[in-house]
Amino acid sequence: MRLFIGASKGPKAKVDWADLIGRVASHGDRAAFKRLFEHFAPRIKGLMQRAGCSSDEAEEIAQNAMIAVWRKASLFDPATAGAAAWIFTIARNLRIDLFRRRARADRLRADSELPDAPDPAEPADAAISRVQDAARIEAAIKQLSTEQSMVVRLSFIEERTHPEIASLLGIPLGTVKSRIRLAMNRLRDILDEEA
Amino acid sequence: MTISHHPPEDLLADFAAGKLEEAHQLVVGVHVAGCTRCARFVQAIEQLAGATLEDFEPVPIAPDAFDRVMSRIDNSPEDEAAPPLASATDHDLPPALRKYRIGKRRRIAPGLSMRPIELSGSGKARAFLLRSAPGSRMLEHTHTGTELTLVLEGSFSHEGGRFGPGDFDYGDDEIEHRPVVGDEGPCVCLVAMTGGLRMNGFLGRLIGPFVRL
Repeated sequence: MRLFIGASKGPKAKVDWADLIGRVASHGDRAAFKRLFEHFAPRIKGLMQRAGCSSDEAEEIAQNAMIAVWRKASLFDPATAGAAAWIFTIARNLRIDLFRRRARADRLRADSELPDAPDPAEPADAAISRVQDAARIEAAIKQLSTEQSMVVRLSFIEERTHPEIASLLGIPLGTVKSRIRLAMNRLRDILDEEA
Repeated sequence: MTISHHPPEDLLADFAAGKLEEAHQLVVGVHVAGCTRCARFVQAIEQLAGATLEDFEPVPIAPDAFDRVMSRIDNSPEDEAAPPLASATDHDLPPALRKYRIGKRRRIAPGLSMRPIELSGSGKARAFLLRSAPGSRMLEHTHTGTELTLVLEGSFSHEGGRFGPGDFDYGDDEIEHRPVVGDEGPCVCLVAMTGGLRMNGFLGRLIGPFVRL
C-alpha cells in the first residue's frame, strides 16, 4: 500500500542525522555527507513532486538542498531544530525561491523594459528566531494523537486534498475538516501550556 | 509589545509548509518574526514536516546526482550571498521587509498614503505599506477577496477589537469593516490584498476607500 506514506514501516534503525551534519561541519566528512545525501535527496525529490514540482524541478531542489546542507552545516544547531526539520526548511525555501524566480522570468520575458529587481532569495521566514529548543517542541508534538499528527502531515505537508485524506485514513470526508481543526487547536493549546 | 490578534492556525501551517503566496508569506512572516507564540507553532509544524520528510517514500534521483553535487561543492565552495537591500530611510522597517524593493509613497486620499512592495509576481495578492493619519476612519466596506493586515505602528479598531503593533487582522468577503485609526499617532500597516474593496455607498465609490474624519 504505497500511498500510506508516513505510516510506520516496521522498526527504523535510528540514525543520528544531527551527528552526521556535525561531522560535515567540523571536518567536511564526505562519508557522513554521502549518508545524508542517500537518505534525504530521494525523499526531498519525492516530497517536492508530491507538492507540485515537476520531476526536473524536484531533482534540482533536491541537489541544491544538499549543497546547502553541506555549506550551511556549521549553522545547524541541533539544540534548536531537528535535523530533518532543518533540511525540510532548506528544501522548502528553495522551492519558494524557484517559484518566484520562475514568475519573475516570465514577467521579464513579457516586459523586457522591467528593471532588474532584487531577488528576495531568503523568504521572510528566515528571520524567525528560534524561540524554543527542539526537545520541547518535539515533546509538544508527541502529545498529539497519531491521528492528529497524521492528518496535519497529510494536509499541510503532503498537500493532499480532503477526499484523498478521507480515503487514505478511511474516515468520512466530513470528519477530515473537523479533525484538522481539532489537531491545530490542540497543538496551539499544548504549545501555549508549555510556554 | 503585547500581541493579542494572531493569524489563524491553518495560515501558520501553510506558512511553515511554504505554501503561501508571496504577499501572504511576507505578512505572516513579519508577524511570526515578532511573535514568539506563533514562531513556536511554526517550529512545531516544521518539526512535523521534518518527520514527514524523513519517512517519505524515496523516488529515484539522477544516477550521477551525488557526483554532480560534490563537483559543484568542490568547484564553488562559497555561496554568493545577496547583499541586503536596506536603505537608510527604511531603517525603521522590520528586517524581513528590508529585502524587498519598496516603491515611492503615493497619496490615496487626505491622511492616507501607501507604498507598494515589489514582489516577484508569482501570486495574485499585492503587498503594500499603508499609512493613515491619526483619527482616520475607513468607510464601511466589504472585501471582494482576502486581506491580511499587520500593524507595524499605531493602531486601529473595528468590531473585532483594537489592533496595535504586531497584531494581525484577517479580512475576507464575509466581514464588514469600519476601522477607526487610533489617536496616538499615524497607523502604519503591512497589507496583503487580493481582489479589492467594495464600498457600501456612493461616496465610497466616488472617493475611494478612506476618508479623513
